[in-house]
Amino acid sequence: MTSNYAIKAAELGVRYDLRFNRKTTVRTSVANFVLRRPPARFWALRQVSFELSHGESLAVIGPNGAGKSTLLQVLAGIMRPSEGTVDVRGNVSGLLGLGVGFDNELSGIENILLGGAFLGLEDATVQQILPSIVEFADLGEFIDAPLKTYSQGMRARLGFAIATAVDPDILLLDEVLATGDANFRAKSKARVIELVQAAKGVVLVTHDMEWVREYCNRAMLLEKGRVVLEGDPEEVVRLHLERTAAATAARNAEALAKGLDPAAFAGPRGGGAGRRRG
Amino acid sequence: MDEGQDQGAVRADPSLSARDPVLPFRAMSSGDAAAAIRQSPGGPSSLSLLRQGISEILSRRRLIRYLVQADMKKRGTDTVLGNLWWILDPLLQLIVYVIFVSIIARRPAPDYPLFIFAAIVPWKWFSSVITDATTCVVANEKLIRQIAFPKLVLPVSVTTAGVVGFLWGLIPLGGLMLLHADRISIMLVWFPVIAFVQFVFTLAMAVLISAANVFFRDLGNALGHLLRLWWFLSPGLYSLENLRSVQYVQDHPIVGDLFALNPFAVLFEAYRAVIYGFPDGAQPSAHPPDLLALGALLLASVVLLGFCITFFKRVEPEFAKVL
Repeated sequence: MTSNYAIKAAELGVRYDLRFNRKTTVRTSVANFVLRRPPARFWALRQVSFELSHGESLAVIGPNGAGKSTLLQVLAGIMRPSEGTVDVRGNVSGLLGLGVGFDNELSGIENILLGGAFLGLEDATVQQILPSIVEFADLGEFIDAPLKTYSQGMRARLGFAIATAVDPDILLLDEVLATGDANFRAKSKARVIELVQAAKGVVLVTHDMEWVREYCNRAMLLEKGRVVLEGDPEEVVRLHLERTAAATAARNAEALAKGLDPAAFAGPRGGGAGRRRG
Repeated sequence: MDEGQDQGAVRADPSLSARDPVLPFRAMSSGDAAAAIRQSPGGPSSLSLLRQGISEILSRRRLIRYLVQADMKKRGTDTVLGNLWWILDPLLQLIVYVIFVSIIARRPAPDYPLFIFAAIVPWKWFSSVITDATTCVVANEKLIRQIAFPKLVLPVSVTTAGVVGFLWGLIPLGGLMLLHADRISIMLVWFPVIAFVQFVFTLAMAVLISAANVFFRDLGNALGHLLRLWWFLSPGLYSLENLRSVQYVQDHPIVGDLFALNPFAVLFEAYRAVIYGFPDGAQPSAHPPDLLALGALLLASVVLLGFCITFFKRVEPEFAKVL
């Protein structure tokens, strides 16, 4: 058993217990208990198995609410699987959403220090990479201003600069390629490509099919928490586009049947699984 | 995570990349420790959870320090008077209670302001920590869903920041003591010991409440009232001796004993013994606290803290799902 994998997931499942969510109160729990309501549960991921070897780049695609972000959260160690196992070998860094303001009252510099401490970086390391983060974020004098004075784009730049300042073994990216202005987008894309080439393994969630075809050597299509297809990016992307088109056509037909104008009915709610949050 | 994480941090694989420098990276999740956490169902034993929790707190001291500094800064900049509120707040509370008690009680204890201030300042410390702890995990939901870090640092930093507020509160307390200089004595050396016992107890409660509030968001509503009730049931505005002289308590001594079991009965009586002394001011007035009760409370608090950390660690993996 000396297989050389970076990530190995076996029969992975993540279950949300809807008894406890952001709206739970003591009153509702007591009511549920007294009325013996069965626990409401929802599988965000089910029976997901895959192996990522060193040097591979895996794209996870699928409609909203398919469980893509949940998968990354599990790989990052943020969430514990409810069933199955995950083995991640090496240091993981993740860009799971940008604009992570660590503290609104603190300045950009102080946020970098705080962010480094949150990420678990050594103090010496943070001091060492501080100049490169400041340079990459390119915020000018704002770097010394409190974070609350930043625009959304500036926050995203700072967040991106902090999160990519380290060279991880395994890199997790969640929809990070579409932030900031055109200039910063080009710069961040270049940085991600650089990281992808340096990392031992990459898992990224994206809706940018061009990116998948160009930079990933594997792809996985998730729908409603289950793997539909996993393998060659071309094939997976083609299947995804077909299924999306079919779902859109079905929805349009349904809307027409109700006498609505599909063009006016632009809510993209494709295939979302239940009550996913975030 | 345990120490394995620290070691995993500096593991720089030369084959990783030709780009330099390869930075030592203590990961969001790395190596064996993280794998153990993610193995799931069943979960680790309570003892290993406790050990994990303690080493997390110890290994993330710098993060805690930053969080405390950020908290200080926020309090300093939010309001016009800034840090002065740390001094003004207990003083205003003191005035309210002195007026209130002077009206309803015919004969409050001599030097009554000092008598109750010895309890108001420590209580302010406890109640503000508990109030802040209620929201400390929930307020960081964005971070929790994006970065894997030991969530225990949140209640620990709130409790530590509370110590700073408490130290500010000692300024008006010291001022008031100077007005009653005859009551100052060497017994004040016990003060840090009593404060330490309170710190351990406060930390335990903060850890417990910060985790519980993730699952029951309306805990904060109830907590304000519970804290007020707790304050009035604790011998802050009165002493246990006052209470025991009430006719009803004399008829039912068990009530007095129950009151004495309250951790804040032990703490307030101890603070008052070293700061205020005996009501009649007999020399020497100040006296050592009830060391047996204080020792028992310390022991109970340490055990409680162990339970609370274990509880926190057990529900921690659910935070990202619930938030």
